[in-house]
Parts: sequence; structure tokens; C-alpha cells
Amino acid sequence: MTDVEPANENVRKNFHQTLEEIRQEMVQMAALVTEGIPRATETLLSGNLTEAQQIIDDDDPLDARAVELEETCYQVLALQQPMASDLRGIVTAIRMIAEIERSGDLVVNIAKGARRIFGTEIPARLRGLIGQMGDEATKLFKVSLDAYIDGDAALAAAIDDLDDRLDNIHRDYIQEIFRANHDGDLPVQVAVQLALIGRYYERIGDHAVNIGERVRYMVTGWLPEHTGAARDAARRAGEPPSGG
Amino acid sequence: MLGPRALRSKLDRIRSRVDGRPAPTSRSVGDAVDRLEESVVRHLAGHEAESAAAARLTRAFDLIPQGIVLADASARVVFRNRAASGFVDARHGEALVEAAMSDLVALAVDGVSETRTIDLFGPPRRAIELRAGPLRADPDADDGQVVGAFLIVDDVSERQRVDAVRRDFVANISHELKTPVGALGVLAETLAGEDDPEVVARLADRMQLEAFRVARTIDDLLQLSQIESDVVGERAAVVVDDVIAAAVERTRTAAEVAGVQVVAPSVERDLLVLGDRMQLVSALSNLCENAIKYSEAGDQVQVLAERDGSWASITVADSGVGIPTRDLERIFERFYRVDRARSRDTGGTGLGLSIVRHVVQNHHGEITVRSREGSGSTFTVRVPLLDTPSEPSPEPLAASRRNP
Repeated sequence: MTDVEPANENVRKNFHQTLEEIRQEMVQMAALVTEGIPRATETLLSGNLTEAQQIIDDDDPLDARAVELEETCYQVLALQQPMASDLRGIVTAIRMIAEIERSGDLVVNIAKGARRIFGTEIPARLRGLIGQMGDEATKLFKVSLDAYIDGDAALAAAIDDLDDRLDNIHRDYIQEIFRANHDGDLPVQVAVQLALIGRYYERIGDHAVNIGERVRYMVTGWLPEHTGAARDAARRAGEPPSGG
Repeated sequence: MLGPRALRSKLDRIRSRVDGRPAPTSRSVGDAVDRLEESVVRHLAGHEAESAAAARLTRAFDLIPQGIVLADASARVVFRNRAASGFVDARHGEALVEAAMSDLVALAVDGVSETRTIDLFGPPRRAIELRAGPLRADPDADDGQVVGAFLIVDDVSERQRVDAVRRDFVANISHELKTPVGALGVLAETLAGEDDPEVVARLADRMQLEAFRVARTIDDLLQLSQIESDVVGERAAVVVDDVIAAAVERTRTAAEVAGVQVVAPSVERDLLVLGDRMQLVSALSNLCENAIKYSEAGDQVQVLAERDGSWASITVADSGVGIPTRDLERIFERFYRVDRARSRDTGGTGLGLSIVRHVVQNHHGEITVRSREGSGSTFTVRVPLLDTPSEPSPEPLAASRRNP
């Protein structure tokens, strides 16, 4: 990137081929996360230390690929000056890379949490809820990627509602942690770790929702902030000039 | 314009190209045209036969359940059979398989053979094995010129599962039999040097208990092997309601001891299946026993039966500890235990669910389980209904049953 000359040849490649490569790389990076979520859940529930360490190590290549792909996107922006839907595609990619990379970190956090509570027995009901949160988070991430790959704005818009399910399970889960702790089945140290772990799943769901919003932007040009921006504009327009 | 001589020699040259060998000189322009036509017809016929053979090969490759990929010397894919095409433009976990496929093909054209297994967490969990290697100009030489690469994609999930079942079965059966026999040995040794009648009595009690445990395991094993071999036994019309009543009766004591209430509303008498009544009762009581065992005092176990199309569907639902997802598909294996320490206390032999599954299979039925840890399990047994032509109209009956 520092030198334009050698990059040029690369850039001369068919522009749409580059876009397609970016898309493919993103699908593969996201696949690492969709596979990572159930893997981390299983590691957590089976208390497998070796696998937990493996998950933590496996995140480094994902980070490296994210950096590299982002570079590629900037290069395309700078050298090809894409317009309209192509531009939105690149901008979406740049934002999505961050969401995917961050979700990968949350998977790592789950593995780290599993390491911290190694050796303690998780009460059955909480195990069930962890399994459910894992399933829902995986499903959400898959749906957000399906929406991206198929350019399906309607599906992307539905992700927010799907996320409510994960949020509800998360709420039950926190309730159950309180109950188990109150009944003396759960030492407070473990309870705190478990609560954090629940939060990681819930955050993965939020990132899936963000990806959904990015996909809507890519397809339709709509952004959730637009609603807020419109409200803001309306408020200003309605305000008397004197203020107050 | 070409003169006749030049035209003739040009036609001959074309013919020699079509034939792929030097063409004998023709006598005249007319002769040259005739010969060329002949050559073209022969060539086209050969070409058709070739493409027909290629199409046949492709169809044959498509029938192979493994994926096959062929690439040229520059790692460009030139052929994919149907199974391998499934990984093109793949998403989610399969995108990782797709990426590994290109990696391996690139390695293969450099002359490196490699096998890689990719574990997909799904759900469902799968294991995909990829095997790639170079194709050489001389297939018998290990270091000849590389002209391309092949790659074979194989879903080895089922094979891995069967291997695990076999491995664990041997380990588990030895364990199940060795533990009580070992205990018997130690108890007998202690007994031999013991004079205190009270201690002797206690030791004898323990010995009896351990002997019972071995006997029960062996009984179950025998029953299982009998059920396994007895594919077509004595078949008769069996009233589902009777089966449920008998199973509930058989587990009454266990339920009372555990303080668990078994709820089994009676079912219409004309819900009939063809089968072995004893086997069905034994299967259902196994399910009830499990449900009771893993429930807590005060819980309810529900046994429900209903007509489901051409099936009789019986569900046994508890609200007990439930089964971890990763164990769900393995619980029907012989001696498979979710939690070794805990299930030993409950006194099971580890064969109950295997027996149930085999009984259901003998009846051409199916068994499924749904469970969440901490919120109970539901086992559903579906057995084909007995065809009763004498029955006036099964549909209205089924409908009237659902309505109230």
C-alpha cells in the first residue's frame, strides 16, 4: 500500500473480481465465528482446557485476516473510487469486518471464561440455558451471514426480532444465576464468571444485529441512525427560532 | 482464386489435420472433397462416442457419495462431481471446507499429498475428511511430472461415530462387569478372615448386592441379544392402553419410593399396534423407570399416547435433570452413560435405552428424544398402527379425538 506501483497490477484485476474475493474472504472469516460459537459452548460445558486454549490461539489468524482484508478494502476505495452500490458494498465490508473480528474476540472470551471456572460444576439448568444461548447466537450469526450473501434486506431486518429470543434466554439465565446462588448451589466467583459468559453470548447476538443493519444499508441505503437523524432534523425544524 | 491443383492440395492438407496423420494424395478435386467428407464423418463419429463416454463417466462420478475434484497443473479446477459441487460458493462451516479444498489442491500440484480432517460444530456436528494428491504424467512414478491434482471429500462423521461406539462398548462392558466382580473378590477376602457375626452379616449383604448387580447386567445383556436377534417374533394385536397400564404398574414401587407421580391418562382402546406385548411393556417401563430415576421428589412424569397419522405415538416426559446436547445422540448405545458417577447410584445397568431402541426397531418404529439440561427430557416412541380394515372410518375417529 505504501508503494502504488506494484499495487497497480493487482488493482488492474477486474474490479468485480476483487469485490467477489472480498466477499468470499468475509464469508470464510464469518464461518470461523459461526463454527467458533458452538465449539466454545461445547468446550465450556465439557470443561476441556486444551480445546479452550486452542480456541484462544485460533483467534490470531482471524485478527490477521481482518487487518489484511480491511487493507484490501481501503486499497479498492482509494484506487477504484467505486460508486453507488459498489461503494456501499465496500463500506459495508469494512464495517462488517470489525463486527466479525469483535465476535471472534467474544468467542475467545467464552473460552477464557471456561478456563477460569475450570473444575467447578455448572448446575444443570444453567447448562441447559448456556446451550440454548449458544444455539441462538450461532443461528443469529448464520442468519446475518445468509442475509449478507443473498443480499436479502428483509431477512436482515428480521434479525433484530430474532435477537429478542437470545435476549429473553439471557434474562432467564441471569435470573437462574441469582436463584442458584441464593440456594447455595453456586459460589459467587463462579456466578460472576457465568454472568460474564452470558453477556458474551448476548453481545455476539448484538453484533449479528449490527451486521443485519449493515446488510440493509448495503442493499437499500437505509441505516438505523437515519431514523434517529430524521427525528433530530424534525425536532430542529419544529423548534421555534428563539429556542427554548 | 486457387487453381484446381492448389485447391486439391489444400483439401488434402485439411484432411490430414482432421485425421491427425499424413493423408495420401487425392486424384482430383472431387476425390479430395469426397475423402475429406469421409474423414470428417469418421472424426465426428469418434468425437460423439468420446463425449458419450465422458458423459457416462460424469454420471457415474455423480453417483459416488464422496466428492471428487480434479484440477489441472495450474491448480485450476477442471472437474467436480455432484457431491463436491455442494461446496462451491459454500457458506458457514462449509466455507471452511471450501477454503481447505483450494489449499490442498494448491499443495497437490506442488507434488504434496495431504489428508486433512475438518471438524464442523454445526449443528449438526460433522467431520469432513479431505484427501488430495498430485496426478502425474506417469502414474507409477512417484516423482514424475505433475499434470494435475485430485481431491476426495468424504463425510466421515458416521464412521467416526461407529468407531467410537465400538471402542467405548468394549471398554464399558469390561468396566460394568469388572467393578462388581472386583468388589466381590475383596469382600470375600475380608469375609474369610472375619469372626464378628455382625460384620460377617454386613459383608454378606454387600456381596449379595454386588452379585445382584452382575446378575442384572447379564440379564439385560441376554435380553438385549435376544431382542436383537428376534426380528420377527410372535406378533399379535396389542392395545396401547394395556401396554401403558402394565408399564406404569411395573414402575409403581420405584415411583412411590422416589416420590414421583406418574400421570398416564387412559387412551382409546382401539389404538392398536402389531407387536410383541412383553417387549413393548419392557421398553415402555424402561422409559418410565428412567424418567422416575432422573426426576426429583414431587415431580411429575407424564405418559401420553395418541394417534399420529398412521402411527401410534407414545411420549414419556419428565421435568428432571435433562440430558446434555452432546450426549443426546449417544444415549441409546449400550453402556453409554452421561454421568458415570451419578448413574451408578441410580442402579441402572446402562442397557435400558439400548433395549428400548431395539424393541422399537423390531416394531418398525422410531424413537426420538428432546431434552434440555435442567428442564427435563421427552422420549417419543412411534410405532406403526395396526391396519384394521374392519374399522369403519379411521379419519373421523382421529379427528373427534383431537377436537375435545
